[in-house]
Amino acid sequence: MKGGMVAITGVGETPFLRRSEEPLMQMMVRACLAAIADAGLKPSDIDGYIGNRMTPGSDDLGPLIGMTDRAFTAVTDVAGGTAPAGQALILAQLAIEAGLARHVIIPYGIQSTKPGGVYGFHAKEPLKAALEMPVGFFGQPTYFASMANRYAYDHGLSEEELASVPITYRKWAEITPWAQRREPMGIEEYRQSRMISTPLRAVDCCLTTDAACAYIVSAVERAKDLPHPVVQVQGVGVGTNNFPHGVLFTQNPCTYEYPGEASAKKAYTMAGVVPADLDLAQVYDGFSISAIVQTEMLGLCGRGEGAKFYAAGHALPGGRMPVNTSGGHMSGGYVPGINLLIEGVRQLRGGQGERQVPDARLCAVAGLGGNSHSTTILARD
Amino acid sequence: MGIPNYPIHLDDPQLQGFYDGLAMGELRLTADPDTGEWVWYPPEVVPGKPDTVLEWRPVSAQGTCYTFTTVVRCLLPGDHATEVPFTVVLFESDDAPGCRVPGVLVDDDGVEPACGMRLRFRPVPVGDHVIAGFAPV
Repeated sequence: MKGGMVAITGVGETPFLRRSEEPLMQMMVRACLAAIADAGLKPSDIDGYIGNRMTPGSDDLGPLIGMTDRAFTAVTDVAGGTAPAGQALILAQLAIEAGLARHVIIPYGIQSTKPGGVYGFHAKEPLKAALEMPVGFFGQPTYFASMANRYAYDHGLSEEELASVPITYRKWAEITPWAQRREPMGIEEYRQSRMISTPLRAVDCCLTTDAACAYIVSAVERAKDLPHPVVQVQGVGVGTNNFPHGVLFTQNPCTYEYPGEASAKKAYTMAGVVPADLDLAQVYDGFSISAIVQTEMLGLCGRGEGAKFYAAGHALPGGRMPVNTSGGHMSGGYVPGINLLIEGVRQLRGGQGERQVPDARLCAVAGLGGNSHSTTILARD
Repeated sequence: MGIPNYPIHLDDPQLQGFYDGLAMGELRLTADPDTGEWVWYPPEVVPGKPDTVLEWRPVSAQGTCYTFTTVVRCLLPGDHATEVPFTVVLFESDDAPGCRVPGVLVDDDGVEPACGMRLRFRPVPVGDHVIAGFAPV
């Protein structure tokens, strides 16, 4: 697969809300229609659909957004952010290059407030139910907190360094009009945040959000006729490991070793660029610790130096490598992976006001989902 | 420090062997009877060997803490406000490095949990069941 063959031509989303009165389907329809309009297309122009195992399929959603010919449909097979921020782009490019579709829509929505809560699926895993839940080892904040303590043992991690991650993203959210959490946060406000599972406080965790997002992938040649500057998919890679969900958080030899180096290597190779070429990055920030590790895996700093990278201010507005420029998942909104990808597209188009990264032309997007990881390199033509 | 109280759900009956061991004061892990290698946690199907039935074998009660966290807001279903804070550890027996058993830290006498600290297995009765506990050595 070659880079620079397809582009993201339309993006859209609903407001990021702590609790929405709208059902998931309604939000997804709104996001899709917004993306189609943003691309300057009609609903009947969309002939490809890539869904996700967690969201409605094209047979339900397609008619509601006005698709008339679902010539190509597929479902991503990986979890969380890896799917919309990486794997879906691979499938879209395959479909477009094969001539199966011209414009592929990729929606993703989340209702964090749904019955059963965001951790409900863990309780259905027999190994977790039998071995972990009876001792209270349950829920992503607890899993990732245990990773943070191991990372601290291996590399060192002060409270100030850990805090610098959500504080950095909050700085970006302060200048992002639609960000979910915009109130200023410094170290004192950080320390007032409720401890969830040591060392992670509430603000070290991604938000709970009800929202939907969507984007459209088209051939680069077609994108040149559409309204926005062409933002190409220059490289994309997916990495995986062989630790299924039931053992992922305990038995992986290094529990914070996500398959991010593998995905980054594939994406950079496909794109023909190196980390030093990047102008900015969007990093899947489910938790402070996972953002730190993925920042390292993207090559924005050395291994074990991620926390110091944030504490030094490199990722802040005006820093040498802006990260999560709309507040990320921890302050902007949490629609796994996809709103980070959309922010990357918007930054490369330009015109994002106070938060615009000057002359942004190359952006990496890192997505994490269970035992898979994606890296995508977006480039402005 | 508190102790979480949450029922054991054995949807996979194979996992009964772990709790049979706890009831007898033993820490048991699963091993491949053909190779003798530990296979932990016990998967529904042993990778590449769908006919293999794993064996439960006792391991040393002595080991180390791979990592830990002190749970302040318990995320288990239900109300556990009176049970927090409690500290969860991932324990590696000296007999099975890399095979991690989750359990609660007990008898810590104010000792700060730490990765690499030496621990000893100690079953902990909670209500009508027994869970894995680990105490600093």
